[in-house]
Amino acid sequence: MKLKIKLYQKITRHIYDDFNLKKQAYNLGVEVWQTPSFLFICMGLAIMVAMAVVYFVSFHYDSPFVLIISEVLVVIIMLIVGGFIIKSVEIFAQANKTKSEFISLASHQLKTPLAGLKWSLEFLLSKRRNGLNKEQISILKDIEELSLKMEQLVSDLLDAARIDSGELFLNKDKADLEGIIEEIEKNNLSLLKAKKISFSFKRKNKVPLVMADKKRIKVVLDNLISNAIQYTSNEGMINVEAEKKDDKIKICVKDNGIGIPSDQQKRVFEKFFRGTNTEKLFSRGTGLGLYITKNIVEKSGGEIQFKSIEGVGSEFCFWLPIEEKKKR
Amino acid sequence: MKSKKILIIDDDPIIFKTLGDFLSEEGFQVISAIDGLSGLEKAQKEKPDLIVLDIILPRKNGYEVLEEIKKEESLKKTPVILLTNLGSLNDVEKAVKLGAVTYLVKSDYSLKEVAAKIKEALN
Repeated sequence: MKLKIKLYQKITRHIYDDFNLKKQAYNLGVEVWQTPSFLFICMGLAIMVAMAVVYFVSFHYDSPFVLIISEVLVVIIMLIVGGFIIKSVEIFAQANKTKSEFISLASHQLKTPLAGLKWSLEFLLSKRRNGLNKEQISILKDIEELSLKMEQLVSDLLDAARIDSGELFLNKDKADLEGIIEEIEKNNLSLLKAKKISFSFKRKNKVPLVMADKKRIKVVLDNLISNAIQYTSNEGMINVEAEKKDDKIKICVKDNGIGIPSDQQKRVFEKFFRGTNTEKLFSRGTGLGLYITKNIVEKSGGEIQFKSIEGVGSEFCFWLPIEEKKKR
Repeated sequence: MKSKKILIIDDDPIIFKTLGDFLSEEGFQVISAIDGLSGLEKAQKEKPDLIVLDIILPRKNGYEVLEEIKKEESLKKTPVILLTNLGSLNDVEKAVKLGAVTYLVKSDYSLKEVAAKIKEALN
């Protein structure tokens, strides 16, 4: 029954997406009249009108030529409008190819100096630490933190571009969600202390390893927990909860932060979305975190949901399959 | 115990210096090459235990080097780790098809993690 409902939802969403011309035009970066779906609808309508005209003509003039003319008319319309559709698809394919080449080039050019910077700092701080005084170590740690932020920004932009072109690649590792959450908590300890936020991590039962891309799942958890920290005011609370249910693991991140305005909740997982209340309070942020998060979770065979009340708080929950799905 | 010999083929001097120094401190014997052709020559001459290979390289790219390593009887069993900043699905699939044991995106890994992957591949 559940499977039937899911299938029905998938089909209706597919049909809705196909005929959501505004969204299609926005995604492809073209005018509404240039979208393949609009041109397809036009072709269908034109064929219907042509058939109706032929029907009325044949009704009044009983002649075999009418049938031939009607077929010729339909073929001409299909050729003209179909030509437009093919042309527009070609333009999109070309644009996609250019974008893909750009991603590849930008990825290499931007990431190479960042990797060099990160590794040099790591080498200095791990293998040459004894030759440095406290102040030097502190400055190097600040530089390291900034380089990691810059790297995160570049990764987010490239991941978003890869998602758009269907090129987001996920590795297959055994991911230790418990360890990842503890690591994120440790990395954010100073911020949690500074904001006097109480952070708790509850395991309802034993958290198993999941077959997923460790690095990407860390991005998912990091985005959700970082958002919770950023959008929770001083002396607030954040609860992370993990629970194994059948063949899935459910992770929830709950806060009592500023929440998301109800009229904007539909757009939360859209690219570049930032709530109006967050924009007013925080100038930083690209609005890519949740877009990337949703895509990673879904590509890993899971799903993500949230509930939020403005001024009260938010709760984001996602499910991941414990075993690797055959089709990814 | 004799230390394992690692060949790093990378045209970025900062990358091969930091990784090379780190691996030396971890007890490996490190040799390096700054382009694909000299990397292949060093591999043939020095017979390393493992090769760390970049993809975008002058004089012969990483894929070509990997292809030739896998063709050569004396080198074909040497594990090759691709360490690059290209991370598209096509790149990864191509590398695996050509016989790389692991594909790592430089900026996604710390030196410590790269060293751990090298140790894992050697075992």
